[in-house]
Formats: sequence, C-alpha cells, structure tokens
Amino acid sequence: MRVLPWIYLTAAFVFIYLPVGALVLFSFQGGGLPVPPFDGPSLRWYADILGDEDLVAALLHSLAVAGGSSAVACTLGFLAAYGLARHVMPGSALVRGLLIAPLTVSYLIVGLGLLMVLQRLGLPLSLMTAGIGHVVINLPLCFAIIYASMGAQQQNAERAARDLGAREWQVVTLVTVPMLMPALLAAFFLSVTLSWDEFIISFLLTRFDVTLPVEIWSLLRSGLSPRLNAIGSLVFLVSIVAVFLAELLIFRKRP
Amino acid sequence: MIARDTLKGWGFVAPALLWTLAFFVVPFVVMGAMSLATLEGRTLVWGFSLANYAELAQKAYLWRAVLVSLEITLTVTVLSILLAYPLAWIIAFRVPPRWQRLALLLAILPFWTSYVVRSYAWLLVLSREGVVNKALMTLGLIAEPITLANTRIATVTGFVHFFVMLLTLTIFANLIQLSPNYRRAAMDLGANAFQTFRHVILPLTLPGIVTGAFLTFVLCIGDYITPQILGGNNELTVPQVIMVQLGRRADFPLASALAIVLMGLVTLAYLGCARWLRLDRI
Amino acid sequence: MTAPVSIQHVDHWFGTYQALTDIEMEIAAGEYITLLGPSGCGKTTLLSVLGGFIAPSVGRVLIGGADMTHVPPAKRPTTTMFQDYALFPHMTLRDNVGFGLRMGGMGRRARHAKAEEMLGLVGLADAANKRPHELSGGQRQRVALARALAVSPDVLLLDEPLGALDLKLRRAMQDELKRIQRAVGTTFVHVTHDQEEAMAIADRIVVMNAGQIEDQGPPARIYQKPASLFAAGFMGEMNRIPAKASAHGIETPFGQLPLAAPGAGPLTLCLRPEAIGTGAGALFIGPATVRDAAFFGTHCRAHLSPEAAPDLTLIAHLPAASCPAEGETITLAADPAAASVFEAA
Repeated sequence: MRVLPWIYLTAAFVFIYLPVGALVLFSFQGGGLPVPPFDGPSLRWYADILGDEDLVAALLHSLAVAGGSSAVACTLGFLAAYGLARHVMPGSALVRGLLIAPLTVSYLIVGLGLLMVLQRLGLPLSLMTAGIGHVVINLPLCFAIIYASMGAQQQNAERAARDLGAREWQVVTLVTVPMLMPALLAAFFLSVTLSWDEFIISFLLTRFDVTLPVEIWSLLRSGLSPRLNAIGSLVFLVSIVAVFLAELLIFRKRP
Repeated sequence: MIARDTLKGWGFVAPALLWTLAFFVVPFVVMGAMSLATLEGRTLVWGFSLANYAELAQKAYLWRAVLVSLEITLTVTVLSILLAYPLAWIIAFRVPPRWQRLALLLAILPFWTSYVVRSYAWLLVLSREGVVNKALMTLGLIAEPITLANTRIATVTGFVHFFVMLLTLTIFANLIQLSPNYRRAAMDLGANAFQTFRHVILPLTLPGIVTGAFLTFVLCIGDYITPQILGGNNELTVPQVIMVQLGRRADFPLASALAIVLMGLVTLAYLGCARWLRLDRI
Repeated sequence: MTAPVSIQHVDHWFGTYQALTDIEMEIAAGEYITLLGPSGCGKTTLLSVLGGFIAPSVGRVLIGGADMTHVPPAKRPTTTMFQDYALFPHMTLRDNVGFGLRMGGMGRRARHAKAEEMLGLVGLADAANKRPHELSGGQRQRVALARALAVSPDVLLLDEPLGALDLKLRRAMQDELKRIQRAVGTTFVHVTHDQEEAMAIADRIVVMNAGQIEDQGPPARIYQKPASLFAAGFMGEMNRIPAKASAHGIETPFGQLPLAAPGAGPLTLCLRPEAIGTGAGALFIGPATVRDAAFFGTHCRAHLSPEAAPDLTLIAHLPAASCPAEGETITLAADPAAASVFEAA
C-alpha cells in the first residue's frame, strides 16, 4: 500500500515525459531518422535549422504575433476588468459572460468565422489577421485572470489614493497597475505561450508570411525527421522559458 | 453621480467589448447565416435553406464524423479523469509539501509544448520504428512491430496525454484548497480511506472535476491537429471534415453547418453539467 | 460514555523544534479540562496527540486504561471538534451528524433518529434538512458539537471551539457547552487562549507555555495562587512588585513581608488589582497619587503612583462607589494572603 502511490507517480511521469523525451533525445540524432537506436549526440540538425531562412523568419513572425497580440489582449483585459470591478454598471454580469464566451468555443470555429468575415470584406490575410484572432482567444483569459485578482485590498488602496487627491488616471497608473503587476504579467506570459503554440487560427488566417507552428505543419508532410525534432525542442524551450518567467514573476512577490 | 460612474465604467469596458463584438460575435452571426446559405456551382447564394443540415443527416461520411468525434471525446474525457485524479491526489496528499510545487510543475511541464509538436512527438513514439515498438520487441512481448500510429489508439493517446496534465492541474487545485480538517474529521468519525474519498472528498471536488471535464470536452471535440497527425485519414472527426470542406471545395456553407453542429454538441455538454459547472473558476 | 485519560511523559518534536516537553497529566472521567495558553504554546499539538493525529515522539497516552499512543483517530474513543468545524458542506445537518454512525455501519433509520436527537440536544431540531452554509457561526458550532457527540465518544476534544464567534455569542456558548457536557457526562478537553473562557467553563485548567505545563488546577486556585509567574500573568491583570529575600521573609519597597522566599536572587511579588484597597491590610502600601481612574461598572480601575516607590505604577480595582479623582492622594493597603512570590523573570 505504501509503495503503490510512488509506482503510480513514476508511471505517470514516464507517460507524461515519453513524447517530450523522445523529441529532445532524437533531436541530437546523428543519422537521418529520429528513431532508436540513438547514434548521437550531434548538433548537426540544430545547425541545419538555424541556417534555414524560412524557419527563422517563421520564428520571428511567431514572436511578433505572440508579443503583439498578448500586449493588446492584456491591455483590453485590464481595462475591462477595471471598469467592471470598480464601477457600478447595469448588466455587468452579461458583459462578463460575453467577454468570457470565446473560451467555450473551439479555436477552429473562431478562426473559421473570422476567415469568412475577412473574405466577405475582401481584406487580405496576413500576420495581422492572425494576431486579431489570437487576441479574440486570449482576451477572455487575460480578463478572467486580472478580474479575479482585483480584490478589496486594491480597492481600499485606490480609495486612499483618491482621498489623497489622485485623479482617475493617476490612480490607475500609480496604484492599480503596480499592485496588479503579478496578475498582469501572468496573464501576459500565459497569453504569449498560448499564442506561440497556436496553430489552427494562424493556419486559417495567414497566407504568405506564416507562424512557426504553421511552418512546422507544412514540414510534417515529409514525415519523421530529426530536423523536426530540433525545431520542436526549440519551440518547447521557448514555451518553458515563458512559463518559468510567469512563475517567477508571480511567486517572487508572494513569499 | 451614479450615471457618471456608470459612463466611466463603460468607457473602460468598451475596447474589449467592441473587440469581442467585432471579431467574435459578428463572425459568429455570419457563420450562422452562412450555414443557411447554399453553393450553386461556385457562387454563394444567401438564403434560409436547411440543405446543409439535411446533407449532414444524409451523407454517411458526415454524420459518421459526428459519431467518431463524440466517441473519441467521451473516451478521452473519461480516461483522462480516471488517470489524472490519482495523480493529483498523490501530489496533493502523498508528496511532502516542500516538493509539491515542483512535482506539480514537472507533471504539467510538457503541457506547454506546442500541440503540433506534441502530436509529432507521439507520432515518433508510436511509429513502427518508434520507441514503444522497439521496447516491446526488446522485451520479447511482440515479434513484429504493431501498428499504433494512424489509428484511433494514437489519437486517444495523444489527447489523453494532454488532458491528463490539464486535469491534474485543475483537480490538484481543488484538492489542495480543501481544509485538511475535512479529511481529519471523516477519519476521526471512523471513515476508512476509501469512505473518506467516496463520501467527503469526491463530492467536494465534483465541481472541479466537472469543470475540467467540460474544458476537456470543448478542447477535444474542436481539435483538428491531434486526429489529423496521429489518427491519419482512416476515420475523420468533425474538425477534419470541416477542414476538408474549406480546403478542397471551399464549401463554406457546409463547413459552417458542421461548425454549428459542433457548437450544438458543446452546448449539450454544457447543459448536461451546468449544475456543477463553475466557469468563473476556470 | 466517558473515560479517564492519562498522559505519561509525552515529548514531541517537529524536526528540531520541541513542541511538547515532558507532559504529565491525569484527567478523570467526566471532567471538563481546558488547555490554556498563548498561540504556539503546544496546546493544539497536545490535543492532536490525544486525538491521534500526531503520534508523540516519546511517551504514552492511555484512554480508559488502554494504551492509545499509536491507535489511529478512527479507532479511538475520541472525537475532535475542529476550529473551522469542518462540517461537510454537501451534506444536510442530519447527514453531517449521522456521518460517524453511518461509518460505524448503523442503519439509516436508527442513524437519522440518533442524528435528530443530537440536533435536539444542541437546539437545532428543526434544522435537520438545512445545509451548513445556511447557518450562522454559532449554529455551525452547535452542529459540529452534535456531530462529534453523535458517535458517543469517551472523550471529546475541542480545538478553540468558540474562536470564530464574536464575544457575546462566545460567552453564551460557554454556558451551553458546560450544560451539554454535564448532560452527556463525556470527558471534555477544550483548547483555548481566552482565560475568561477557561475560568467560566473548566473544572480544571491546564496552563501551558513553550511546550510545558506551567500549572494545573481548579480555576480559583490558579487565579489566586498560581504556580508560576507565567501562569499568574496569563490568568489576568497583575501588579508585579520587585522584591528580594530577607531574614524574615521578603523585602519590598513597602516593607518586610512574612512570606516564604522561593529563591535567594531578585523576586517578584504578584498582587491582583482587586487585592489592593483603601481599607486595612497587613501589607501597608501607604499614600499613592491617582494618575487616572476609570469607571467599569463593577469596579473602578485606577493607575496609582505610590510614594514609597514612585517608579512603580500600581493598578487597583477600587469599589465603584468610591472612584477617586485624578491627582487625589489615597492610602493603600493589601492582604498579603492574596499575594504570590516568584523568582524574577
């Protein structure tokens, strides 16, 4: 009975890390097939992908889309959260529901709807349109995270600031935003991670310039290759860095 | 005074609200209208036709996709909960508190892999030459490589891998916020470990489980990548069929009707578990 | 049901921190005991040792004569009433109270009857179908009590049971707890940091500090003749007058007193505020200036500077009818029988 939980824990970790482990291990494969036996370590596939202009361009596109859309989602989310938490508004429950609603809809459907509207309007597909789609899916998350952290403690500090003569914009910039910084950063990095990994909306809403997941997708058609392992490992690394940053920034302030 | 405050409030909410209306609600309405339009040749005819929905009911490859999607999603949801609950439990109550955060972080770290990359990684593991087949053959359990990739097993495995991590996180959060005194009180009153779980912990964590299950349902039934990469083209799910309509035939009306059906399934799932759902806690 | 408890030489460490040191205690069957002390004094740890949630590092716990040191909570004749009550929010009050009986295998009908009887005992007979969130704090506390008593424990352990209630309700619940304890006859061990609560309720108070027992005995004895300086201070307001040993007893700023000196070094003479008065007394304090005086209904509480020791501020509870004015000089005396002497801390 005592060892059973530990056996389960170990088995679960093996299952969870099996694909990631295989991905990273065979990115250092010497030969041309990412399957056992392992004949590395070799860095040739990393050198190969970093020399690939299309991939590097896609990577930069992804970073731009992720950073830009997250900044917009965070800003809009913060403003909405501030408005709803601090001002008396009729129908605020309905507004909250509407803002959260995209969370319950598949990315595919969000992308499909946007694609049809853009086509009706005759607007060209670009990284910008993919970014708009990413804001749609990340705004509810940013809003929810920031709204949840707007507690009574902040409200009292805001009242104190107002009492001491601060104007509304001064209250927001000098009191509310600094106090909410952990939540804002958490929302931003979560949003960056999701946007960075997102495929289907980017796939539907971009045309010539594509993001990294879309580029990887097109490479996938040629089957298993250590190149893909190397790209995948790098993508994973970037996500982990973003997650750790979020983790660090949030929990450093709460000892 | 109140009116001015309200006006200010709307000022803050307006950008987000307008964004959601313009890029989420409007597209949604367009999609609804599109599902009632028809294609004549290559030209789109707006109208109020249920032809797309009728086609969906008549053509086997369409309604079969709905069944396949439902089967896969339900299997994945149930399996993921069954596997994630013990994991969350062990991390919450068996792992010493100082290691808990680390254990949880490690348990959900691969969650952050891009889903294209994650599906590719499973393809790697499950291929005929892959790690699993090699391991089974080395152990002498099988003589010939078995076909795992491009089957429903692969799709379900890929999904379960992802959702076990998601559910472990939500269930853990639920377990850890319960006062430890609930467990103590139950044991103090004579309940054994199983009775404590059955009568106290499980009912108290049910809202969390249902919320996680609903999230799993929504994300799983709408995913295109995992079945496309891991399941191959032997059996298609609804998102795969939608993409086929878009790609090969540019049949937006039929794709929209399928998307509406997908939404309908999610709504049904929502109604099914609305009693326990705490969407505000996601 | 009821049983005596015997705690024999119990020590407990959390890592390198010693939470309990050499605890020795005998509790009679049917006695109402309170463990009194500041937070971190080890009283809750001791309660957990009794309840079986912590196995002590050293020592034995006997309940009803049987060694229970390593028996898990479920198998002990004890139940615990938790500080946060730990009522199961998804169950009705009837199911909450009947939970222990259900675990014990009692049938539905008998269980419900017993649960309703227990709810009746705590005055909530009409609320059996309600859920915990519909109740006030005081009502939850009653349900927790009913749930713990429903399994007829020999010993009931109460961890700061009134801590979450406001002062007025707390005083009312004290009487209620005492009444219920008398009615069921179970041994109660009640942890609190409120000395008034302890005095109001307990047959015997155990004062704890820094993991040790400082004093144990009936409330009146501990209040009037505490065994240690800590117990003296924790039981209520106290004047501490510096003193030292002399040939005939002790020497104070107010003269010699024929009291036994507990040591040769500096001493502290402890006098309760109500032991100081304007009447006659063998301990003559002499004239003192009133710094301030406040009316408290039952008495008048005054800060005084005695002329014999101007650096000292004495607190006295004078009769409410004769409240002195600020700046007035009055002559004070005290009864040395009401004083205690300890080595200075």
